[in-house]
Amino acid sequence: MSNRAQTKTSSFRHWTVLLLVVSGLGLLVVRAVYLQVLSSEYLQAQGNARHLRVAEYNAVRGMILDRNGVPLAISTPVDSVWAHPPTLMQAGGRWGQLTALLDLDRRDLSDMLARHAAREFMYLKRHVTPEIAKRVMALQVPGVALQREYRRYYPAGAVAGHIIGFTNIDDQGQEGLELAYDERLRAIPGKKRVLKDRLGNIVESVESLSLPIPGKDLVVSLDRRIQYLAYRELKRAVAAHKARAAWAIVLDVRTGEVLAMVNEPGFNPNNRADLRSALFRNRAVTDVIEPGSTLKPFTIAAALESGKYTPDSLIDTAPGVIRIGRKTIKDVRNHGRLSVAGVIKKSSNVGATKIALGISKNRLWNLLRGVGFGETTGSGLPGESVGIINPPERWAAIDRATLSFGYGISITPLQLARAYTAIANDGVLVPVSLLHGDGGVQGERVMAKATALQVRRMLEMSVSGGGTGTAAQVNHYSVAGKTGTVHKLINGSYAQDNYVSLFAGVAPASRPRLVMVVAVDDPKRGGYFGGQIAAPIFSKVMAGAMRLLNISPDAPQPQQPTIVKASERRAT
Amino acid sequence: MIAEAAVHKQRREAGHAADAWDMWLMTSVLALLGLGAVMVYSASVSAAERATGNGAYYLMRHAAHIVLGLLAMSLVMRSRLQHWERAGPYFLLTGIALLVMVLLPGIGVHINGSTRWIRLGTINLQPSELVKVFVVVYVAGYLVRKQAVLPNFVPGILMIGLVIGVIGLLLLRQPDLGTMVVICLTILGMLFLGGVRLGHFLVIVAAGVAGTAMLTLASPYRFERVTGFLNPWADPFNSGFQLVQALIAFGRGEWFGVGLGASVQKLFYLPAAHTDFILAVLAEELGLVGVLLVIALFAVLILRSFLIARRAEQAGHVFAARLAQGIGLLFAVQTLINMGVNMGMLPTKGLTLPFMSYGGSSMLASCIAVGLLLMVEREVRLHSWARH
Repeated sequence: MSNRAQTKTSSFRHWTVLLLVVSGLGLLVVRAVYLQVLSSEYLQAQGNARHLRVAEYNAVRGMILDRNGVPLAISTPVDSVWAHPPTLMQAGGRWGQLTALLDLDRRDLSDMLARHAAREFMYLKRHVTPEIAKRVMALQVPGVALQREYRRYYPAGAVAGHIIGFTNIDDQGQEGLELAYDERLRAIPGKKRVLKDRLGNIVESVESLSLPIPGKDLVVSLDRRIQYLAYRELKRAVAAHKARAAWAIVLDVRTGEVLAMVNEPGFNPNNRADLRSALFRNRAVTDVIEPGSTLKPFTIAAALESGKYTPDSLIDTAPGVIRIGRKTIKDVRNHGRLSVAGVIKKSSNVGATKIALGISKNRLWNLLRGVGFGETTGSGLPGESVGIINPPERWAAIDRATLSFGYGISITPLQLARAYTAIANDGVLVPVSLLHGDGGVQGERVMAKATALQVRRMLEMSVSGGGTGTAAQVNHYSVAGKTGTVHKLINGSYAQDNYVSLFAGVAPASRPRLVMVVAVDDPKRGGYFGGQIAAPIFSKVMAGAMRLLNISPDAPQPQQPTIVKASERRAT
Repeated sequence: MIAEAAVHKQRREAGHAADAWDMWLMTSVLALLGLGAVMVYSASVSAAERATGNGAYYLMRHAAHIVLGLLAMSLVMRSRLQHWERAGPYFLLTGIALLVMVLLPGIGVHINGSTRWIRLGTINLQPSELVKVFVVVYVAGYLVRKQAVLPNFVPGILMIGLVIGVIGLLLLRQPDLGTMVVICLTILGMLFLGGVRLGHFLVIVAAGVAGTAMLTLASPYRFERVTGFLNPWADPFNSGFQLVQALIAFGRGEWFGVGLGASVQKLFYLPAAHTDFILAVLAEELGLVGVLLVIALFAVLILRSFLIARRAEQAGHVFAARLAQGIGLLFAVQTLINMGVNMGMLPTKGLTLPFMSYGGSSMLASCIAVGLLLMVEREVRLHSWARH
């Protein structure tokens, strides 16, 4: 009987087991419904917190083009290698290949990973070559991926290094036009919500949060050919004269557009290892100089405006020395009696002093302020100086005297070039622009047309035979200009043997198109007078620029200054 | 009238093809195999691509396992039941020998902190998977042979307790607690159904519970798994990581799933996506509907096993009944634990989902087990028909 009972499973036990199994399965069903229907929202939120990320998509920064459409700064796509630190940390065995390929130190990598352990993104190496990028991806190291970025390339290299400036590795403008117009050039990265796998790879794009906006191209006023010409001549001059530095600026007379702006020594913005802050200062706008004799035309203009002087008024500069208070002002030699024009031509300090003392302080001040000294040129370039010009209330006689020949006033080379556009433009000062515009520039009259014409005529003579600036002559074109030789102010006193050689001029004189200012800092060989050092650079650059711009010659014979009636000149 | 109808029905069932196989078992197993193959491919394609460069790497191997399994199944289902009844002790000894071999240095392969595999050419054999089936065959025979002494504790229970103890210790040496739990629960169920006295049964249960608790408390990693299971969100990046990822997969699936192949959790978030956590990937891609389908297929398989056992008993075939019960219990315990783990109802165990998870030994063992069921069903059917 008992044996019989054991051969058969009791119904109770059979059903108990079945009940257990079925209730187990039932529990699974209930749990599945709970997870997949009732808590799905919570679980999905948890999942999204793990999978969904906002990814940025870089867009391309705007190009910088010269006025003829030649690229001066362009962005090329490159790849940067990045890592998901927690994942890469676990793949210690694969570091060797990675560090070898990316030229990293194993210990540095370990330190970096430790520092970024809680992060999800860490750059391993920025801007690698496509070849390296390909090989890195071929390694398939867990947690390592590429990101598309853009590297800035400057085709003109050192030729336009200062004026164009450069961006940092994050594509943000740091210097020059890249900084000044960063807002316009900058690309706004797009944002997308993406689904990522646990290794950080983007699996799917879920939604677009914002579209990437590429930067806008910037057409600047520069003419790469003239820029190159100026660069080449400055480089030669600095080498030949063993000068410390040199600057040159070429302005379009009618529009105030900067056609060239060069600093020597230069730097190549493509070579980041080269970037030392002392090198990339754009001295043409950031550094101030005393203009010396290149300021005299404005003293003369003020005198002519006063009505007390005409170009033919005679000034006795004998004996070439004049005492003002306890100071003595000297000419290079005794020029005797000079006309106002002769004062410019011979660059007589004594003559300029006498003229300045003959007019009111305010007249001189107003004219100097009028042509833009002591105020920004509006170039918008980073670090631009406004210079220093003391107000007339604080002028003693000696201050008026030295100011008349360009001492005791600090200006930037760009301000000087701009002031010369007033002379070139028949008395109308135009704002300086670094952008290529449509030519509709609103100028401001700062001196009478007749004054400007008379000063220009005098400046023409100063470049002709017997003047200080004959080396500035350009074949087949008339030139109006002024030399300057300035004692450098070193530690508060004027150095005897350190000069800045200057030349500021206009060509063609009869129908001015270009203004150019050249400054050579501390030439050590081959002289130091502006007429010796700076004027030849002006001549060479202008000769090239006249041809490049197809400007018709106005002086068939080498520098026979022609007198052109004011009525024949084109008004600006 | 009623009896006549029943005979008629039985004749029709058996008679329409004497050599036919049970369609319920066949259909559910083939459906699980097909669904499993699809899910193994989907769950492993990214990992396979990354590890081997061939996205179908695991699929190809899985297909080979299926072919091997079906081959074994068709051999087993055509064998004779009496041979299995007699061979029980040999199976037990073979199983123990395999478990000893896996522990021998130079033979056992050590992966992720446990030694569970024996290398056979390109494939790794996991003896514990086969041991499950061997033990069921042995215990079914034991229950028949010892019918007379079963009500006595010492000769009836202690002997089987010794067998469980030896196998349990060998499994713990690997360590493979999951398989040990499955074997213990299956044997417990078989003893219960086999007619062991309730008092004795409760003593064994109490011993088992105490033993499990001790083992859990003694091992930090097991303890961590248990605490991680109790509150996976407390430490979702370490102890609760796998579970949290599995739960997220379920939550993402909702009613109809994110679509085949569209699982995100399988993209390196969910560890063992194509093996132990295949159900989580299925839940994400095919949704609640898919999960319910899988549960239903397993329910058919398990309930059918017990139905076959019931029929065998009615036909007076005790060994057949015990074997079918054992196999039914084996499938039930293994699937309930695996699914429970996937859904966060049980602490994480390294257990596969029969017929679906990637893994050759598991596939082979499951196919042999279902082959035995098919054989039992056919023998019982033909036998009872013959008696009528």
